[in-house]
Amino acid sequence: MMKKMLSLALTLAMVASITACGSKPETTTTAAETTKAGETAKAGDGAAADVQKIIDRGTLKVGCKSDIPKFSLQNTATGEYEGFEDDIAYEIAGKIFGCTADEAKEKKLVAFQGVTAKTRGPLLENGEIDLVIATFTITDERKETYNFSTPYYTDAIGLLVNKDSGITSIEGLDGKIVGIAQSANTKEMTLKYIDEKGLKVKPQFQEFDGYPALAQALATKQIDCFSVDRAILSGYVNDKNQILEDRFAEQDYGVASAKENTGLAALVEEKVTSMISDGSMKKLQDKWELQ
Amino acid sequence: MIKGLFDTKRWNALFQAFPEYYIPGFLMTLKISLVGLALALALGVVFGLLSTAKFKPFRILSRIYVEFIQNTPLALQVVCYYSILPMLFSSSGFRMPKFILGVIGVGIYHGAYISEVIRTGIEAIPKGQSEAASSQGFSYLETMYHIILPQTIKIILPPLANQALGLVKNTSILAMVAGMDLMYFTDSWGSERGYFAQAYFTSAVMYFIICFPLARLARYLEIRSMRLPTAKRLEITADEEVA
Repeated sequence: MMKKMLSLALTLAMVASITACGSKPETTTTAAETTKAGETAKAGDGAAADVQKIIDRGTLKVGCKSDIPKFSLQNTATGEYEGFEDDIAYEIAGKIFGCTADEAKEKKLVAFQGVTAKTRGPLLENGEIDLVIATFTITDERKETYNFSTPYYTDAIGLLVNKDSGITSIEGLDGKIVGIAQSANTKEMTLKYIDEKGLKVKPQFQEFDGYPALAQALATKQIDCFSVDRAILSGYVNDKNQILEDRFAEQDYGVASAKENTGLAALVEEKVTSMISDGSMKKLQDKWELQ
Repeated sequence: MIKGLFDTKRWNALFQAFPEYYIPGFLMTLKISLVGLALALALGVVFGLLSTAKFKPFRILSRIYVEFIQNTPLALQVVCYYSILPMLFSSSGFRMPKFILGVIGVGIYHGAYISEVIRTGIEAIPKGQSEAASSQGFSYLETMYHIILPQTIKIILPPLANQALGLVKNTSILAMVAGMDLMYFTDSWGSERGYFAQAYFTSAVMYFIICFPLARLARYLEIRSMRLPTAKRLEITADEEVA
């Protein structure tokens, strides 16, 4: 009796978890949706199925960081996302819905969702968001899991240390603890840079979940150095710490989409390359004062 | 279904990462759990006895410890030991080894709960028994050792096992401060490759490997503690029959 009840309970739990995790069923096209699709047909002509789905839905769901000044910062007063990466999202939305970026912004065709280094991957894979434009570095390993566009920005890793630590360059990091963010490739890159310079420096690495935790650990001296992309680091500089001169591991940020959304990836790729070639990407960078 | 759960490529990646990530993480969690449990039991017994003592300051001391620890979140306590406590002692940044940090974190936290478990266990024994013992000339410690505690153990074993299991699972909070435990390495590998289903499923299995024997052991002790007196009596009768 006990065993039977146990197995029944287990089966129920399994079923529940499967239903909970199951992908959302394909929405059947109702009459209302058909007309909506018809209205936007001028943009959606011959669009791939995955792009058509976004057009039918009416908004492009984009994952952006919410805490990086100039790149993507959520305005606490209005709740709006503002920055270079958010503007790219509007440009892409404009391309999908057949309007300009300004119109896309006005009509709120982009639904932003704040992501972190840790959440952006799973959210993309689950289909919660269509695109990730969140200082997402292109690597070969990640290319196996996601589609990446041509890089839209090149950043480098920086090292933030306490001023009173006496560390002035990467050579001072021997035996010190370097705090890095989870799911960042900072560790490999730092070790590679040390190797290339022929230094005998052996820092220890500790990973933290989120940049505030890292900033706190640095402030309380539990780590000697806080190392992430310079774009992110610039948001955490205060009068007690400084970014070292060392600039290494230039890395490219790309727009990522889920592996199976090839139509969307092709469209994004087209938009990003055209923005780079016609100089509008440069203009956007200048607008946000990025070098 | 969760995407890529049965993807062999992802499982292969996991098996390759296993010795580097999961083994050290598992050992760290196991070590923290065992030593932390010993600390929690020691603290629990001491403060549990103090909270039933006749001397009032002892009871007050025990109350302060229990209430303070019980009514603040473990995450906050761990962050406090991690970053605020060292700042109080020195401004140059004293660093506690992660193992010690873990033992102190879960040890003190669950020590408070175990102390409550033991207090209620002792109070569950009718007061008349202590009075009878003292009328027969038993000292406080003798009363505890011979009369109260043997009965208490039967009552407290199930809630005690709960605490032990909770302690093992709560060691995962260390991941928050780069605690080098199982959860830390799980997060680290999972987020590095993006294979979250594999990462967390494996981690769950490994926590289960620690918790399940502990739960069985507690159950075994519980059953044994109930049967002990009857078993003794049977032995004597058997001897007499042979004689």
